[in-house]
Amino acid sequence: MATENARPTNSMPPVSAAYHPAEGAFDEMFRPDGSARPECSAVTEAVFGRGVDELSKIHASAERMLLRSGVTFNVYGESAGAERIFPFDVVPRAIDSPTWATLESGLIQRVKALNAFVADVYGEGNILKDGIVPRDLIMDSSQYRRGAIGIAPPHGVFITVAGIDLVRDAAGNFCVLEDNVRTPSGVSYVIENRLMLARLMPDLLRECRVKSVERYLADLLESLAELAPAGIDHPTIALLTPGPYNSAFFEHVFLSQRMGIELVEGRDLVCMDHKLWMKTVYGPKRVHVLYRRIDDDFLDPVVFRPDSMLGVSGLTAAMHAGAVTVANGIGTGVADDKAVFAYTPQMIRYYLGEQPIIPIVDTHLLREHDVRAKVLLNLDRYVVKPTGASGGYGVVIGPRASDEELAKLRTVIERDPKGFIAQPMITLSTHPTLVTQNGGAPKLAPRHVDLRPFVLMGAKPRVLAGGLTRVALREGTLIVNSSQGGGSKDTWVLEAPC
Amino acid sequence: MLRRVASQLFWTARNLERAEWRARLVNVNYHLLVESPAGAIEGWTPLLAITGDLDLYVTLYETPAEQSVLEFFTLDDANPSSIRRCIGYARENCRALRNCISSEMWAEINSLYLDANGWTYDTLQAAGIFEFFQDLRNRFYLVSGIVESTMPRGAAYDFLTIGRTLEAAENVTRMLDAKYHFLLPHPDDVGSQLDLQQWAAVLRSASALEAYIGTFGNAMNIEHVVDFLLFDKSFPRAARYSIDRLDAALERVASGGKEGASQIPTARTLASRLRSGSAPGVIKDGLHEYLLGIQDDCAKIGGELFAKYLRFE
Repeated sequence: MATENARPTNSMPPVSAAYHPAEGAFDEMFRPDGSARPECSAVTEAVFGRGVDELSKIHASAERMLLRSGVTFNVYGESAGAERIFPFDVVPRAIDSPTWATLESGLIQRVKALNAFVADVYGEGNILKDGIVPRDLIMDSSQYRRGAIGIAPPHGVFITVAGIDLVRDAAGNFCVLEDNVRTPSGVSYVIENRLMLARLMPDLLRECRVKSVERYLADLLESLAELAPAGIDHPTIALLTPGPYNSAFFEHVFLSQRMGIELVEGRDLVCMDHKLWMKTVYGPKRVHVLYRRIDDDFLDPVVFRPDSMLGVSGLTAAMHAGAVTVANGIGTGVADDKAVFAYTPQMIRYYLGEQPIIPIVDTHLLREHDVRAKVLLNLDRYVVKPTGASGGYGVVIGPRASDEELAKLRTVIERDPKGFIAQPMITLSTHPTLVTQNGGAPKLAPRHVDLRPFVLMGAKPRVLAGGLTRVALREGTLIVNSSQGGGSKDTWVLEAPC
Repeated sequence: MLRRVASQLFWTARNLERAEWRARLVNVNYHLLVESPAGAIEGWTPLLAITGDLDLYVTLYETPAEQSVLEFFTLDDANPSSIRRCIGYARENCRALRNCISSEMWAEINSLYLDANGWTYDTLQAAGIFEFFQDLRNRFYLVSGIVESTMPRGAAYDFLTIGRTLEAAENVTRMLDAKYHFLLPHPDDVGSQLDLQQWAAVLRSASALEAYIGTFGNAMNIEHVVDFLLFDKSFPRAARYSIDRLDAALERVASGGKEGASQIPTARTLASRLRSGSAPGVIKDGLHEYLLGIQDDCAKIGGELFAKYLRFE
């Protein structure tokens, strides 16, 4: 039986001596004294044992594979169809088995509560009547959808797929930074990253006994099938994409292909007799479950934006008729509104009668006068986020902003206080990452990471082992979004303690 | 199968086939120019006539100089049928089709696209015009080979076949027509050394020279060339062979929809016309009219396909 003492850290190859954890942040592989953290020391030793040259070679092969196989995302604001690979870091991030077990129960707890909240908001509205969440916060939310009132999906599931963004603070504690319960993306990179590391370092994966992520595809398909309208035993399931110019199009192709379901665009669909059909070469064919990857606003021009070319007219009516299940449901965005986020611990207590397992990052609602006054006094200490946006757009990091930017932010907040929240700046944990600076030799250096696990709700909850680790590749930056120059790492949940 | 998907498969195959024919034509014309006595033929203008691009060309360039024509056919984004544009269309369609094509097919078309994006006239020259187009043609063979060896014989394969064979039949008739009508500067030249050399070039551009010699011997004879390229039942780029395959694919698509016989009547009648055609007869009655008839039928088949299977908006 190996113990921590039996694993001498001085056996670590010399390369780790050149690695210096950043001050003030929690490094996930090394303690401040430079010794490897015991929870995942097997992975640390194996990776550092490879040496920087070999890791660089693996990195180069990985990028080539990604480009040639078209694992790309589109960048908005650049010329149409501009494609980039999502930068990939070959150093895997490991999470030990007991830590993951706790996170998994915390994630399931959280998504159950968020789902109950959505059902409640568009149903009885009890949490509003009881004054736990202020009614006007919901009614004013840009994500509130009147059209969702009265839709009763199978198993009461509105949130089929959730991506919960977690960060580790300076003490190493996991906490929730934000929820994504509309059309969260990124899971295809999780599966592709694993596939790539399995090709490039097969022995390492075997040695470390890493939980499979491939199961997600079967889990998602089962969850969607379980949500088919009553009486449909073999549902036809389709994934609705906005099309090849969407930033996540690769993922839409990937998921539909690997699950063996149809990939449809709005123009492939038509609603007749309050049912949803797709146009095949042999005539219309019923669709029972629609996994949609387009926003509410574009889903049904009859109910939402009339100028939308991406959706299908009459879909909301077909949902009300119970003839089709749309996942995620309409209006789930009320649950991931960044102002509503502040109330999520209360939701867990209210709906489940449980204490939250994973804490959230302190969240200050600037709509409240006293809170706003306090935050505005020290704006340079907070991260300010617009309540309705996602993808890192519009986020201002106080400690990194110029005086001019802060003055502008102050004006914007005072004009629309309901539109913003403030959170203390969390120094995200760091992880050894292969970097090449200014054309110099590659080396391993600490870079900030977060984690987006994926939770599925069908007849029962299912969680992907691990999730998408995003890494801020530029030195010092804390923004990990792919649209803002972030990359990703393979995330290893270990089968058993090291 | 979704109508949009069928349509995208059809157009992917058509564009690849079109690009492949452009590469063939350019290569053969280059051959002809190099081998002919100076001034014997009109440089690159006939090629523009064959592809029907002359009108567009004169709006974009001043003279049919070699560099301009090669750029027009290969690189020009203002030409909707330039090789690069065709590859771009095919690749854009394939992006949306990755569910129903093999990953190998996608990877090769994506590679071709990435390479084509990097082409400049210097690329052509550095490789050598002949080698460049020969290599390119081989890339298209690679794509066809991948399709043949990785795609299950189902609806996706059938719609690829339909697009490919329709484009091939049209291209071969166009090429024959252009040779017959436009290429010779003087009627007196019929049967001349230059004339025969051009017929050999036509065969070569269809990769048909060896197969032709195997069937008819090495003497160039107009009737035999027409017979071979229009009516041969076993040569892959002969019009009859293409339309036979088209018709068979349509039959399979129809039976998949439990409709029994092909739902595209014009493909039926064209196939039987080509089966009973003979070169002496059509040359006597007017080859040009006959070829135009085939091209009209191909256009009609496109229309019928669109109405029956491909229209979705």
